[in-house]
Amino acid sequence: AAMRSRAEVDATLQTAKLNPAELLPVVQCLSFGPQAGGGECCLLQLEPGLCAELEAGRSLVIRGEKDEHAVLCSKDKTYDMKIADTSNMLLFVPGYKTPEELKADLALGNIIYSQIAGFSKNYWELRRCRPKLKKLRKLLMEDPYEGPDSRKDESTFSKYTTEDLLSLIQASEEEILHQLQVIDACKIEGYWRILDFDYEMKLLNHVTQLIDSESWPLSKVPLCACLEELGSLEPREMIEHILLSYGRKFVDDGEVFFEMREDKICRAIAQMLLQNAVKFNLSEFEEVWQQSVPEGMTTRLDQLQGLALVDKSSRPETIFLLKVEDLPEDNQERFNSLFGIRQKWTEVDITPYIQDLCAEKQTVGALLTKYARSSMLNGVKVYNSRRPIS
Amino acid sequence: SGGTGALAQWVLVELQGEVEPRQSGDLAGSLLGDLHYTCEGVPVLIVGHHILYGKVVQLEKPFAVLVKQGGAPQPSPTEPHGHYTVTALIKTKLLFKTRPKPIITHVPKKV
Repeated sequence: AAMRSRAEVDATLQTAKLNPAELLPVVQCLSFGPQAGGGECCLLQLEPGLCAELEAGRSLVIRGEKDEHAVLCSKDKTYDMKIADTSNMLLFVPGYKTPEELKADLALGNIIYSQIAGFSKNYWELRRCRPKLKKLRKLLMEDPYEGPDSRKDESTFSKYTTEDLLSLIQASEEEILHQLQVIDACKIEGYWRILDFDYEMKLLNHVTQLIDSESWPLSKVPLCACLEELGSLEPREMIEHILLSYGRKFVDDGEVFFEMREDKICRAIAQMLLQNAVKFNLSEFEEVWQQSVPEGMTTRLDQLQGLALVDKSSRPETIFLLKVEDLPEDNQERFNSLFGIRQKWTEVDITPYIQDLCAEKQTVGALLTKYARSSMLNGVKVYNSRRPIS
Repeated sequence: SGGTGALAQWVLVELQGEVEPRQSGDLAGSLLGDLHYTCEGVPVLIVGHHILYGKVVQLEKPFAVLVKQGGAPQPSPTEPHGHYTVTALIKTKLLFKTRPKPIITHVPKKV
C-alpha cells in the first residue's frame, strides 16, 4: 500500500477541522504490519519486580506439561498464568516516542511511519503462587538410593539431573534447589537422589553408635573422625551427607564439627517405629521411643508435627503415622483428605497439616475460614468440612 | 525466555471496539490512522471518519510482548505451552476511550 504523504495528512486535518497550530509538527501514520494478524505475539502483564528482572537480562520461563496448568517462573518465584479479557482492542506498536521526544528530535521531519506489530483483546495475567514441588519428591522417590551395594542402581531411567528437574517441575530454579535441600536430597554421580529410609536410618545409626562409643558431646561431633571410623562401612560422601542432614556444620579451630539436631533425630526414629504398624498405643510408643533415641536426647510429641497424629478420643490413646508430604498439594483436595481422616480437628492438630498451603501473606486462620466450618465441641473450637463427605 | 541486551520499548494503543479493515481482506498492510499530539501532549488519533482524543497512561504493571518461537500452530488461548521470547517491554499506553467525534466529510454545496 502506498505510504501516506504529509499533504494527505494535512488534508485530513483540514477535513477534521483540527488546527495544525495546536498540534506538534510530527504525525505518526499507523498501519498494520505484515505479521499483525498472525497471533504470534501476545501480551504478558508483569508483576512488580519482573520488569526489572527482564531489563537486567534475566529470563522468565513458562513451565508445564500438557496436562498441567502453565506457570511462569522467574529465577526465584513461581506465578500462575490466567487469561484476562478486556473489552477493548490492544494494539502494540514498536518504537515508542513520548511527545517530549517528538518535540525535541528535529531530525524526525514531519511524518513518521509506524507499523503495528500485533493486536489482542486479551493478555496473560500473573498471580504469585506456591511452587508445585510435590512432584519433585515423587520423581526422586521413583528410585531411592539404597547404598552402594544395591544392585538396583544400574539404570539411569528414573534418575534426574538438575536440568531434568528444571524442565519437569513447575517452580523456579531457586525454589527447586531450596526444596532439594529441605528434603535432604544429594547428588550422586550427577543425579539428585533421595535416600531410601532404611538406608538412611542405617547411616544415622552408625553415626549415633559412634558418638555413643566415643562419648563425644552431641553438640560437637568431629567430621574427620567419623569419616575415619566409618569409612570402611559406608561411602565417605554418605557419612558426610548424613551428618549434614542431621546436624549443623560449624568450624572450630580449622576443624569441621557437627552439632547434632536432637529434634530431627528423634523424629526420624519415631518414623522408623511408627511405620511398622497401623497405630500404636500412645504410652507404649512414648516409652519405646525414648529408649530408642541416643543417650542424652529427649523425645517430645511436638517433634512429630506433620508426621504423626495422636488420637485422644480412643481408649487407650493411640498414635499413627500421617505424613504431610503424602497428602494432596491442592488446597481443596488437602482439606478433603484431612476431613476424610478425621471429621473434626482442633486448630492445634490441623495446623501442621495445612501450614505449607499458606500463600505469601496468608495465615492458617485465613485458610480455615475459607475451607472449613467451625463449631464448639466440649468447650473446644473444632473445624470440620464445609461440604458433606460421601 | 528473556532477552539479552537492552529490550525494546513499545507502546500500547488501546481502542474501544473492533478494528476492521476498510476494504475486504487482511488487516495486514492496511492503514489504521494518523496519530497526532496536541502541544500539551494529548494524543489525537484520526481513524477513518472519527477523531479520538486520548491520554498517555504510565502503566502500573508493564507488559512484556511475547513472541512464540518455532512458527508452530497458534497457541491455544487457554494454555501458553511452548517457547516464547520476550521481544519488548511496554510501560506506556495511549488510551483512547472518549467517544469518537465523527468527521463530517460531506459539506452540502451552497446554492
